[in-house]
Amino acid sequence: MNFVVPDFYPAAAEIFVAIMALVVMLASTFARGVRWLAYALTQFTLIAAAFVTIYTLKGDVSYTFSNLFIGDLLGDLLKLLIYFSMAIALLYGRGYLADRNIDKPEYYVLALLMTLGMMVMVTANHMLPLYIGLEMMSLGLYAMVAFDRDSARSTEAGMKYFVLGALASGLLLYGMSMIYGATGSLEFSGIANAVYHQAANKTVLLFGIVFLMAGISFKLGVVPFHMWVPDVYQGAPSAVTLIIATAPKLAAFAMAVRLLIWGLFDVAEQWQSMLMFVAVLSIILGNLAAIAQTNLKRMLAYSGISHMGFMLLGLLSGVVEGDRHYALNAYSSAMFYAVSYVIMSLASFGMIILLSRAGFEADSIDDFKGLNKRSPWFAAMMMFVMFSMAGIPFFIGFFAKLSVLQAVVAAGYLWIAIIAVVMSVIGAFYYLRVVKVMYFDPPVDPAPIHAPAELRVLLSANGLAIAALGLAPQALMSVCAYALLASL
Amino acid sequence: MSLLAIILLPFLGSLCAAFMPANARNVEAWLAGTAALATTVLVASLYGDIQAEGVLRASVPWAPSLGLEFSLRMDGFAWVFALLVAAMGTLVVLYARYYMSPEDPVPRFFSFFLAFMGAMLGVVLSGNLIQLAMFWELTSLASFMLIAYWNHRVDARRGARMALTVTATGGLALLAGMLILGHIAGSYDLDVVLQAGDTIRAHAWYPAALALVVLGALTKSAQFPFHFWLPHAMAAPTPVSAYLHSATMVKAGVFLLARLWPVLAGTEAWFWIVGSAGLLSLVVGAYLALFQRDMKGVLAYSTISHLGLITLLLGMNSPLALVAAVFHIINHATFKASLFMAAGIVDHETGTRDMTRLSGLYRAMPITATLALVAAASMAGVPLLNGFLSKEMFFAETVFIDRPDFQRLGLPMAATLAGMFSVAYSLRFIHCVFFGRPARDLPRAPHEPPGWMLAPSALLVFACLLVGMFPAHTIGPFLAVATQSILGASTPEYSLAIWHGFNLPLMMSLAALAGGIVLYQLLLRRRADTVPLLERLDGKRAFDFVQTALSTGSERLLRILVSRRLQVQLLLIVVFALAAVLLPLTADRAGWTLASPGLPDPAFALLWLVGGACALGTAYKAKRHRLAALVLSGGTGLATCLTFAWFSAPDLALTQLTVEVVTVVLLLLGLRWLPRRNDASAPDIPTSTRLRRWRDRSIALLAGGGLGSLAYIVLTRPAGEGISPFFLEQALPLGGGLNVVNVILVDFRGFDTLGEITVLGIVALTVYALLRRFRPAPESMELTQQQQEHSAPPPDTDAVLPPGPMAVPAVLVRLLMPLALLVSLYFLLRGHNAPGGGFVGGLVLATTVILQYIVGGTVWVESRSRLHPPHWIALGLLAAAAAGCGAWLASLPFLTSLAWHGSLPLVGELHISTVLLFDIGVYMLVVGATVLMLVALAHQSLRAHHRKPARAGEE
Repeated sequence: MNFVVPDFYPAAAEIFVAIMALVVMLASTFARGVRWLAYALTQFTLIAAAFVTIYTLKGDVSYTFSNLFIGDLLGDLLKLLIYFSMAIALLYGRGYLADRNIDKPEYYVLALLMTLGMMVMVTANHMLPLYIGLEMMSLGLYAMVAFDRDSARSTEAGMKYFVLGALASGLLLYGMSMIYGATGSLEFSGIANAVYHQAANKTVLLFGIVFLMAGISFKLGVVPFHMWVPDVYQGAPSAVTLIIATAPKLAAFAMAVRLLIWGLFDVAEQWQSMLMFVAVLSIILGNLAAIAQTNLKRMLAYSGISHMGFMLLGLLSGVVEGDRHYALNAYSSAMFYAVSYVIMSLASFGMIILLSRAGFEADSIDDFKGLNKRSPWFAAMMMFVMFSMAGIPFFIGFFAKLSVLQAVVAAGYLWIAIIAVVMSVIGAFYYLRVVKVMYFDPPVDPAPIHAPAELRVLLSANGLAIAALGLAPQALMSVCAYALLASL
Repeated sequence: MSLLAIILLPFLGSLCAAFMPANARNVEAWLAGTAALATTVLVASLYGDIQAEGVLRASVPWAPSLGLEFSLRMDGFAWVFALLVAAMGTLVVLYARYYMSPEDPVPRFFSFFLAFMGAMLGVVLSGNLIQLAMFWELTSLASFMLIAYWNHRVDARRGARMALTVTATGGLALLAGMLILGHIAGSYDLDVVLQAGDTIRAHAWYPAALALVVLGALTKSAQFPFHFWLPHAMAAPTPVSAYLHSATMVKAGVFLLARLWPVLAGTEAWFWIVGSAGLLSLVVGAYLALFQRDMKGVLAYSTISHLGLITLLLGMNSPLALVAAVFHIINHATFKASLFMAAGIVDHETGTRDMTRLSGLYRAMPITATLALVAAASMAGVPLLNGFLSKEMFFAETVFIDRPDFQRLGLPMAATLAGMFSVAYSLRFIHCVFFGRPARDLPRAPHEPPGWMLAPSALLVFACLLVGMFPAHTIGPFLAVATQSILGASTPEYSLAIWHGFNLPLMMSLAALAGGIVLYQLLLRRRADTVPLLERLDGKRAFDFVQTALSTGSERLLRILVSRRLQVQLLLIVVFALAAVLLPLTADRAGWTLASPGLPDPAFALLWLVGGACALGTAYKAKRHRLAALVLSGGTGLATCLTFAWFSAPDLALTQLTVEVVTVVLLLLGLRWLPRRNDASAPDIPTSTRLRRWRDRSIALLAGGGLGSLAYIVLTRPAGEGISPFFLEQALPLGGGLNVVNVILVDFRGFDTLGEITVLGIVALTVYALLRRFRPAPESMELTQQQQEHSAPPPDTDAVLPPGPMAVPAVLVRLLMPLALLVSLYFLLRGHNAPGGGFVGGLVLATTVILQYIVGGTVWVESRSRLHPPHWIALGLLAAAAAGCGAWLASLPFLTSLAWHGSLPLVGELHISTVLLFDIGVYMLVVGATVLMLVALAHQSLRAHHRKPARAGEE
């Protein structure tokens, strides 16, 4: 047993963020009076981490830490997207937190540690770091959900999230141990190898897959493990909801991809049939339940359930009767969907934050009444978001839906495509209701909107990006496809 | 390039129009007019190329990974349609300039108008199925904005929403259909798809594709049963209706059916779906048009009927019928737009469109009346007008169709009936409004509109006449180009003459004319305001019903499926996990044999029986009696500990024992601060609760049993090659210790242990910090019952022994202290080779310290204690780290153990290694951390005495 110093270079970004999390913690402890310090340092960390990631970017796949860590283009791309969405989410949420007097430095430390957790998840090549990253992310989130300690809602949501999340983690861990039992490996390539050579006990493997699926489903928030989503989305402070609905979805996507495609690709048809069940139910339930919501955060939560179902449609159409011809296309469509969902989510929750003030949450659909009279510009931005989520052409959401539907049709699942289309029609119904309320109803509170300049500018950019990416989606799509291709 | 310009021009115009000031009416109109006119000219100029080359193409790469490129394709049919869209747009802009009142915010109007025009041109010119579906949705959106233009009006908002919901829904269905078509054909390119007709019709997915595409087309063209949105869309400004609801948007549906005719038509399914929808729309639309009061309502239903005619023609699967359909598309656009404009003029000049109030307008506005008269005659199918020609062709098709008997008889009869209705409502439209006594109580005094407002209408009527009289010389070549591009070589012979001889179709026309006049006479006598027979046929009601059903259904679904209670959510997760686990079990059960555990030793079985009983008791008592539960859980721990010992793992047993003790003490100290339990142990538990408990119990049993047996099965399977042999073999040679567990802890996994003790230290400090700010529930703040009864005096710190019966245990515990210290040191020192180690030793010491606290009382002990737990923690960490760093002195990696083996005088043989220092660090840290936590907890009880923040540990 010789001691080998691992190659730290591929993990430079993770190490940097870990150190910076500690720096932020210490700095904000000893400079308690400087309120902006933690926020500024966190944003600096995220931006600098992006530079580190870009600087250490390599076209090929590298392993380090005894193969626990994988450095590939997929991981790097997802990490960049995670920094990006975290930075934007923190920026959107800052004023909101300050209004409620909960912009404590701890919040930013938690956010950074959570980011680190997601990074570890994204670059894990082994069940253990994957699980550690997942827990790191989740624990940070649990605390952030309950961050508004004086609010009963927030505390309850945090508690629920924690209890259910712990249960789901348990299921995932159990599944991992089953997979280990069946294949004798915790490393994805080892698992894949054992599965490929049919060395794995089939039944134990299936058990493992079932439990893995439960864990993944919970983290993605899809039926039947979706119960926490509406409650937590609604209960958490909007700034935290914004975070839950964005970057962690990317990390969960990475988890699903690493576990299922890197590890279990050769039994794809087994997990695909499970995913089919999960995805179709999510699309149906998410859309049907969203109709009855009067609270926008709950509505977006249910819509998020259905969006994640849509994303899974891409993952489940990779292999058809042993034919892997469409796999890359299908997986990159899923990734494109996840990324577009994150972009749309940022804008939608950003709008809620924009309209909220101290002591007032603009989380009811009625709060958007007459927005066109109060601010035509932001009404148009919100309209972009809603149209895009509904999948109306020339917005990014349309292309996301189109690409997964194309994958599903290519895989020959006609019935799924038809259900998905019928459900998007129903989905369009509630998104358009928001648009109708903004444009046709008189405002409840005719006051113009007050918000920090940076929030206004960035939110506008976000809304315009949804439209612009809809006109020219190819760049993002090719990046997703290329990252997957280079990493597989 | 000019194709691109045709698409871009309207959109650019739209963008410019959006950013103009609200009062720039003339500039806006000029801008929109110029854009539309330029587009028209561009389209018209391509006629020569179309004739020469057949198809023009232009494409820009867009999203190749989706198989999409932005491609434009113009053939004869598309050219005719594009010209229709552009030219009609120009005319309507001119009309709208005079129609819109000065208060209306025109930038919005012209901006959306041009955007719609661009989208419509996009639909027409798309060379790609997906792109077509996208532009299709865009027309729905633009039409939504145009219908809702007067958004202060409730009917406008409702109509707009309904139109959008129906057409956008259809658009999504269309998208799905296009995806399927593209999948079958292997490409979304229109050229490829048009070539793949046979493959597509033979494919198993053809019915699905057909249904979806037709659904899109029927919703867009307002065909039965989706026709209901069109009459409600009449709330739009009249120029919008003239443009969208006569010439363009509603034509998109039939355009698509004609476009994909070579691909989808020719099957029975096509005939029945498309044909019957067309026939029903034709008859029902015409019938309903008879009874409308609103002028635009008549026109809307008439549009439904005429589009039904076109759909029926397309559904007949005959090339000649297709020619007739294309011809009627053009004719209908001209006369219907002109009629809408007339209705708008009447509305504009009199302030109402109610046909029961209007009358005798001929005198006030003779030109308008004449124009409307001619256009209505064309609509009715009067000879010498263009409407007559295509209607004749339609009648001929119904007569000569090659179908079974009842269809061959039924179709012409239905067609004649619809023709009759059509004559009657046209007559009513003209007669009611323009003739009869002059109306009195009109909102405004009627007079002729400005000349420029009449011009577009006049131009269209002129076209009606021209085409009607000289069809072969006017529309002939264009029609030929259009049909040729759809049908190619199979274009049939047809003649565009006015007079085909005295034949059956002409008879039908005459019958329809005569019947229509009679019908109108009958209608005049009628006073009732309702629609006979089809009174209950109201698509809007169905639409509303679906909407409310969706909402209430969704609420019901939520009530059944969604609970915000954590218990239910947990239950569901467990149940779903259970159900999911059954999945692989049902699939394959090979290799699932339960290995017989064999008969255990009776003593061991008894031990486990006791342990199990304790565990059950803990769970049972946990709610009612916490102290008992705690004691019982200690019993379980003891059983576990003995199990370890039984299986010859004394080290584990020792560790378990000490941990158990500390844990029980910790919990004991914490019990005091738990909220008071709800004592309302109601004797009569409702049955539902009982049932729920039974349900939960059985699920718990099932899940636990399943998990347990699964674990058992896996455990009894032959284990794979693990890492334990390595540790067992190498512990002595590499680690220099006999106690493998200890060697792993302090040597092989030293780094882990260092991390763990760091965490332990942090946890202790955190617990301490948190407890300092601990605010217990108010009810647990007061003194316990016992303390109140005995009213103990404040403890005396100077007394040597506590008074009363506590003196005996106090003495015993004090005697225990040095003994325990010795034992703990013994464990520490021998740990490397025999059961023990720093962790166990530390816990032993910590236990005695806390015993002092319990028996001697916090105040008394602390007045004498020299123990500083934080210092212990710090020193422990430092020692462990120093042990690690020591390896550097020998240029070895961090935490490599260094050993010195030798003999000293007096002491004898001695083995010293840096591992000992490391273990001392662990020992000190464990003592410090445990004591700090327990003491911090113990201090809570001082609160009741002092009512001030507790001073825990040493500060």
